[in-house]
Amino acid sequence: MSTAREQIFSSVRAALAPLPERTARPVFSKDVAEPHWLAAEADSLALFQKRAEATGTKCFTDMESCAAWLRSQGVRTVYIPAPLTRLAALCSEFSEVTSEYTRARVNEIDAAFTPAAGAIAESGSIILSDESTPDRLAALAPWHHIALVSRAEIHRTIADALAAMPDDPNLIWVTGPSKTADVEGILIQGVHGPGAQACLIL
Amino acid sequence: MAEQKVELFARRLDRGVQQAVHSNSAAGTEKRYTVLGTDYSAPDDLRRLAGQIRQHAIEHLDTYLEQAEQSLKRQGAHVHYAVTAEDACRAVSDILQKAGAKKVVKSKSMISEEIHLNDHLGSVGIESVETDLGEYIIQIDGDHPSHIVKPIIHKNRRDIAKSFEREGLGDYNDDPETITRRARVFMRDKYLQADAGITGANFVSAETGRLVLVTNEGNSRFCLAAPKIHIALVGIEKVIPSDAELAVLLNLLGRSATGQQLTVYTEFINGPARTDRPSGPQEMHVIFVDNERSQILASDCREILRCIRCGACLNVCPVYRQASGHAYRSVYPGPVGAVLSPLLAGKNFKQLADLPKASSLCGACNEVCPVDIPIPDLLLKLRNRGHEEHAPSPGTPPMGAFAKLASSPMLWRFAMKSNKVMNLVPLEKLPLPYLQPWLKTRTLPEWRGGEFRSWMKDRRKK
Repeated sequence: MSTAREQIFSSVRAALAPLPERTARPVFSKDVAEPHWLAAEADSLALFQKRAEATGTKCFTDMESCAAWLRSQGVRTVYIPAPLTRLAALCSEFSEVTSEYTRARVNEIDAAFTPAAGAIAESGSIILSDESTPDRLAALAPWHHIALVSRAEIHRTIADALAAMPDDPNLIWVTGPSKTADVEGILIQGVHGPGAQACLIL
Repeated sequence: MAEQKVELFARRLDRGVQQAVHSNSAAGTEKRYTVLGTDYSAPDDLRRLAGQIRQHAIEHLDTYLEQAEQSLKRQGAHVHYAVTAEDACRAVSDILQKAGAKKVVKSKSMISEEIHLNDHLGSVGIESVETDLGEYIIQIDGDHPSHIVKPIIHKNRRDIAKSFEREGLGDYNDDPETITRRARVFMRDKYLQADAGITGANFVSAETGRLVLVTNEGNSRFCLAAPKIHIALVGIEKVIPSDAELAVLLNLLGRSATGQQLTVYTEFINGPARTDRPSGPQEMHVIFVDNERSQILASDCREILRCIRCGACLNVCPVYRQASGHAYRSVYPGPVGAVLSPLLAGKNFKQLADLPKASSLCGACNEVCPVDIPIPDLLLKLRNRGHEEHAPSPGTPPMGAFAKLASSPMLWRFAMKSNKVMNLVPLEKLPLPYLQPWLKTRTLPEWRGGEFRSWMKDRRKK
C-alpha cells in the first residue's frame, strides 16, 4: 500500500499533467501593495508613531512618561527582563519590579517590558522575535505590554520587513491591542493578549 | 411543491437573526470598500495580481508542496500527510496519544471544522478547547460557525450570556465586555494546562517553510506560548512560493476580511523551539491534508483553491445576507461555500448540488474577491455538473411542456394568441402555490402575446 504522501503527490501530479500550460509566476515590484499615501510620508519614525496610535498602540519616547502612564493605569507589578535592568531603576514607584517571569505568576504581572526585534512604519506594527523576547508568555499575558523599539530598527514598509525577516522560530507582528468583535460586532480590547499595547521608542 | 433548501431555510429563519446577519455583513462590506478605496488607487489590479499568485501556486503545487516539506523539515518540524478527513483526525490523535497528551487548546481553523476534529478528539478521550471567543461559544452550544471570519454572526449577546451562565462562567450578564473578560480568565487556565496547541495556517511559504497565522484575539499566540507541542493542520493548497508573495496577500487578507490593514497578530512560525530560543513548543508537527483538494485541482473548478478564507464574498452576497450561513448545510457558507462544499463532498456531491443554485449570479462575490476567483463561472459549471449527474433539483419548475411549446412554431403561435384568455382569469385565485407569494406584491401586465409577430408581418408587407 502506498503512503499518504505518495497518494497525494500522485493525485496532484495527475491533476496538473493535462494542463496545456500553467500560470507563470507573476513578476511584481516590491512596492506593489504599498498604500498610495505612503510616498508622502518622508519620516519613518513619525509615520510609525502615527500608524501605531491609529491602531491603538500607545507610543512613548521616554521612560518617565511611560512609567507615569502605567501608574495612572493602576499598575502595581512590573516585569522587566535582565537585558533592560537600566529601565528598572526608573520604576521605583511600583509595588514590585521583577526580572523573573514564571508560569505561576502569569496572572499577577500587570505590565511587562520586552525588547522588540523591530517595527514597521507602514502598518504601525511592533515586531517580536524569540531571540529578543525572553518568554513568549511575558509579552502576551499581562494586561499592559510595552515593547522597546529602537529607532534604527523601524522598517519603512511591510515588504521591507518581510524581506528582512531573521532566522527565528517565531516572529510576530503586533498591530494594536488584542481585540475581538465576535459579540454583535462590538469591538472589545484585551481578549487573550494585552488590553493595552504600548511601545517605548529609544 | 418542493422548494430550494437554502430559500426554505431563509424563509424560516428568525427575523432577529436575519437582521443581525444582514447588518453585520453589510458593515463588513462597507469597511472593506472604504479601506481599499482609501489606500489604493487601483485595488482591482492588486486583486488580479493576488489571483495570479495563487493560481500559479496551485498550478505548481507538485513543486511547491515538496519544497515546503523540505523547508519545514530543515527547520525541525515533522511533516505528515492525510488523504481523507478521517486520516487527518487520526494523524492528530496519534501524535497526541504518542506524547501522552490529554488536553489541547485550539485556535480557529476552518480545516479542523471541515474534518470535525473536536468530535474525534472527544471520542478518544482528549479534551479540546476552542480558544477563539466565537468558536468557543460555538463549541459550548454544540453549534456550527455560520461565517468564515465571524463564526457567531447569528448569535446575540443574550444567547451568549445564557450559554456562559449554563457553563458556570458566572451569573447572567450580557455586557460584551464582561463576556470577553470571563472568557479571558477561563482560557488562561486552559492554555497553561494544555499539553498541545492546534492551529491552522493561512499560508505556508515553500521557500522558507514559514507558516503564517493571522488573528486578532491573540489566541493562536497563546496556543504556541504555553503548550509543549504544536500541531498545524494545513490544506495542501495553502502553499505559496516564497515570503515575498506575502506582501501582496497579507495586505489584501486583512482589508478584505475585517477592513484592517493587518490583523492585530501576524505570526510567522519557523520550526520548534531551539536550545538558544527555548520559549515555544518543543515539538512541531505539520499535517498536510488533501481531503478532496487534489480532485478539485483536477476539475474545471480549480480556481476555488485560490481562496484565502477572508469571508468578503459572504458579506457582499444578497443570498447569504438573507439566508445566513447555516442555510448552506456545510462548513463553508456563502458563495465560496456554494462552490467549495459540493466539491469537498466528493462522492456525495449530489447531496449539496443544490448550493450552486442559491445565487442570482450577480457577480458581487467575484468583484470583492481578493484573489479574483470567478465564482459565478464556477457556480454555472457546478450547476451543469449537477444536471449531468441527475442531482435532485427542488424548486426548479418542470420545463418539459414549455420546451415542446417553444420548439414548435405552430404551437407557439397558437399559445401566444390563445393566452389572451389570461386577461380574463383572476390570477390570485389560481391554485398555484409557488405563484401566490409573488402575486401578493405584484401584478402582471396585460397579456399582449403575438402582437409583435403581427406587427413584423404587417411591416414586411409594406
